[in-house]
Amino acid sequence: MIRNYFKIAWRNLMKHKVFSLINIIGLTIGISASVVIGLMIFYDTTFDTFHKDSDRIYRVVSDFSDPEESFSNSGVTLALEDAIKEQSNLEIVSGFYIERPSKVENKALNSEFKWPNFVIYTDENYFKIFDYNFLAGDTDHVLTRPNTVILTEQRAANYFPNTAASDIIGKTLVYNDSLQITVTGIVENFKQRTDFVFEEFISKPTLLQTRLRAQVLEKNWNSTNSDSQLFVKINANADLQTIQNTLDDLAKEHTDEDSKKYGEERKFSLQPLADIHFNEAYGIYDWSKGQASTSLLLNLALVALFLLLLGCINFINLNTAQASQRAKEIGIRKTLGSSRQQLIGQFMGETFLLVLISALLSVLLSKWLITVFSDFVPEGLDFELITSPIIIVAFILLLLIVTFLSGFYPALVLSKFNTVSVLKNHLAIGQKKAKLRKFLTVFQFTIAQVFIIATLLVGKQINFLLTKDMGFKTDAIVSVYSPRNERSIDKKERYARALSKIPELKTISIGGVAPASFNVSSSGLSYTNKNKEIHTDIQFLYGDTHYLDLFELQLLAGRNIRNDTIQELVINETSRKLLGFDNPNEAIGQIVQVNNETVPIVGVMSDFYQRSLRSSIKPMALRGDWYRPDYSQFQTLHIAFHNESSEGLKQTLSKIEDAYRSVYTDTEEYRVEFLDENIQKFYNRERKISKLLNWATGLSILISCLGLLGLVIYTTNRRVKEIGVRKVLGASLMEINTLLCKEFLILVAMAFVIAAPIAWYGITRWLQDFAYKTSVSFWVFVVSGAAMILFALLVISFKTLQAANANPVEALRSD
Amino acid sequence: MKNKLLSLNIASKTVNLGSHKIALLDKIDLQVHEGEFISLMGPSGSGKSTLLNCIGMLDRFTDGGYTFLGEPVHSMKEKNRSRLYKEYIGFVFQAYHLIDELTVYENIETPLLYKNIKSSERKAMVADMLDRFNIVGKKDLFPMQLSGGQQQLVGIARALIGKPKLILADEPTGNLNSKQSDEIMELFAQLNEEGVTIIQATHSESNAAYGSRIINLLDGKIV
Repeated sequence: MIRNYFKIAWRNLMKHKVFSLINIIGLTIGISASVVIGLMIFYDTTFDTFHKDSDRIYRVVSDFSDPEESFSNSGVTLALEDAIKEQSNLEIVSGFYIERPSKVENKALNSEFKWPNFVIYTDENYFKIFDYNFLAGDTDHVLTRPNTVILTEQRAANYFPNTAASDIIGKTLVYNDSLQITVTGIVENFKQRTDFVFEEFISKPTLLQTRLRAQVLEKNWNSTNSDSQLFVKINANADLQTIQNTLDDLAKEHTDEDSKKYGEERKFSLQPLADIHFNEAYGIYDWSKGQASTSLLLNLALVALFLLLLGCINFINLNTAQASQRAKEIGIRKTLGSSRQQLIGQFMGETFLLVLISALLSVLLSKWLITVFSDFVPEGLDFELITSPIIIVAFILLLLIVTFLSGFYPALVLSKFNTVSVLKNHLAIGQKKAKLRKFLTVFQFTIAQVFIIATLLVGKQINFLLTKDMGFKTDAIVSVYSPRNERSIDKKERYARALSKIPELKTISIGGVAPASFNVSSSGLSYTNKNKEIHTDIQFLYGDTHYLDLFELQLLAGRNIRNDTIQELVINETSRKLLGFDNPNEAIGQIVQVNNETVPIVGVMSDFYQRSLRSSIKPMALRGDWYRPDYSQFQTLHIAFHNESSEGLKQTLSKIEDAYRSVYTDTEEYRVEFLDENIQKFYNRERKISKLLNWATGLSILISCLGLLGLVIYTTNRRVKEIGVRKVLGASLMEINTLLCKEFLILVAMAFVIAAPIAWYGITRWLQDFAYKTSVSFWVFVVSGAAMILFALLVISFKTLQAANANPVEALRSD
Repeated sequence: MKNKLLSLNIASKTVNLGSHKIALLDKIDLQVHEGEFISLMGPSGSGKSTLLNCIGMLDRFTDGGYTFLGEPVHSMKEKNRSRLYKEYIGFVFQAYHLIDELTVYENIETPLLYKNIKSSERKAMVADMLDRFNIVGKKDLFPMQLSGGQQQLVGIARALIGKPKLILADEPTGNLNSKQSDEIMELFAQLNEEGVTIIQATHSESNAAYGSRIINLLDGKIV
């Protein structure tokens, strides 16, 4: 029976090649999108689920708020661990401190490793919360003594190549030139997906022998560093609210006077382990990996769902439209004894065959899509993931759902035909079914139309963002970073002098980051204006006397700072207004408090955008490198070119690098960035969305137009006789074409009417994230509506012109 | 006296056309015994096809009683009626009504599929039927590749495969030339000899003559 069904399904498929192709293309696109996005969701939601009792593991994080804003820090004060250690609700409390050593040496092999990453200082509790598999070493006394370290298998292979795990135990490594540390354990790297990427675990007491000694001893309640992490595993029957109350009490108890005065608040929160991979506010440990975004996954899932629906709709439309062609077979089968259920089964089987073909194609296509969408697909996602049992079950389920969605309604319609009327050729296709097809077509085109409008508007906004004048010079500027551990200013100045000899360079400035960057350095500033104390957070730009000049920042009043280290500020317009000065000149010479130091304002510069145009302009000031030589903020050399075009750029860049190598002879490190590229990076997310929308639009137009084509082919074929009669009666080609196109164009137009407000609403909400935004112009709607109608017209005319052109005699003879 | 196969007891069929009520079949009384060969005659629109469809349970009488092998069809549920005709009735149509997408072999096999007969058994039954009708060589052809007479032969083979007690033939030779027509009628006569009950609707006097009884219909009434 089944074989018979599949045989007839296959023959039907081959008989109506165009329809089958349209159906398969539509379903393949929908299923592929679902597979890729399903894989992504599976990948991202299975991070760190393998830990024992993972639902009871939490990270304690800090949330700060003041009257102006709120921000989060994934770390907590070092003091908190001791304060909650004895809590009865907490089974295990484990803090660790992330700190990269500048150097690790294996003296025996004379090998040296600079800045190894993922090194933490922790204790045995860490290994109680996270179950590592010990390959060698004492598992009873883990990290109890100072100067001991546990390495992962991979890290051990770096430090001690070709050595068996058990042989490494007891060997010594030298950290930061002076610390002699013994290896006491080797653990296996986590095999499953994890954000816990640490490779080296040094015993906590060792911290006292590092630069952090003072901080560790002091355990200041009011100092929070994201490197100081705290994890807890709560008791199986613990009450989360009770724990939160304890944390709230602790935060309250340790609020300092200044915070009370300025209305600043701190809250300790419990972040579930499962949230770590998703919550960008707190981040993960390996920054280069990128986190999952719930909203991105949700949007992607929506796109997949829409594409899938479009494919199913095509199927429903084409199959109900074709129903009368199958009617005879249905009638005969009924006289031969088939029940309605058996017929429904047969049609569902046919649908399943089609879905199965699409599914096979999808598997191939998904493999390719994963590379096309590498911007979205997490780096570690391997196509092999598709073989995991959950995915396979989900895939089969998806196929069944798609089969049901597409096949069930047509099967109902087809199996309902009355045998007698079918066999007597008295078949009337109900008006109702035509209505349903119209409704579904409108639905399809509404989706496509929304995508078109959204694509255009998002593109417009991105263009606006990228072409908007930032308020300072962004072209032909590169920044060269000094080596990380280079603290003195001498070499930077030597490098600057070497650069000044290159004729292609216009200006050179030593300073911190560029005016717009991802890095923000800020502190509190207070000023008493007319007996009113004003307190605000102010962001700092660090730069020498060339900084303003190089970035072409405009001075509105006063002067530039006089030298690198003098305590003077050049504030921006926003701070000027915030501090209550009516005009720039009024601010000159006023004294403000910054970190308990009194500093004069010597200049006012015009406002510029400090970050992406999502955020508004914040109070900011330019300052020098005040704390030299103890501490330097000058880590970067900014270089402006004479020549703004890219001509000769390569040679100039290599000269810049040569100069760097001649000064910094003992390092391999060399990091150079173009300012305009950096600014583009602000909008990576927007560009991702734009790319996604382009694809969604293209595909939804494709599927919808294919569906439309199918319907047009079908209706036109049915009207061949009518067309013939009309032609005989003298209708022109255009008249017939108009007649045939009209009913479809009305549907497309209706879709536009529905789509426009939806798209308008969606895009207005999206634009709310931006402090500065493009206008939602009327013309965008007109253009996208026109584009959709044009597409539809092209598709329709393809068939209708052919029909209208046909010789009427042929059409009329057949009956 | 042979067993009574079916009996119609003042059975009628009316349809509503707008506000009019039209009687397609009007108070039909008919007894059919096993082994009969009945020819229904009458002009177009006299109700021959409707009567056949109703007897074949593709359609229902709107009034009156219909008993088939002692079972009251008129008060039966769809499922039981379906079981009944699957078991005992075979159809032959004027337009053959073969499934275009299936080969000769598969067309003949289809009724057996709906009777849930095992694959090996099906094979044997279809092979027998192909043999008997001398169409073994054509078993892999599609209906479109056959002449009208050959198609009707397949249609009859398909009707017979389920070993029905009753064959309902609606103008089985209407689309055939006279030579083919005679062959088909000879076949029916032979089947009747073998014990199959046949009811055929026909316009042709000569075809009607093959039957053992002729029933004339006019405007839905037996005359």
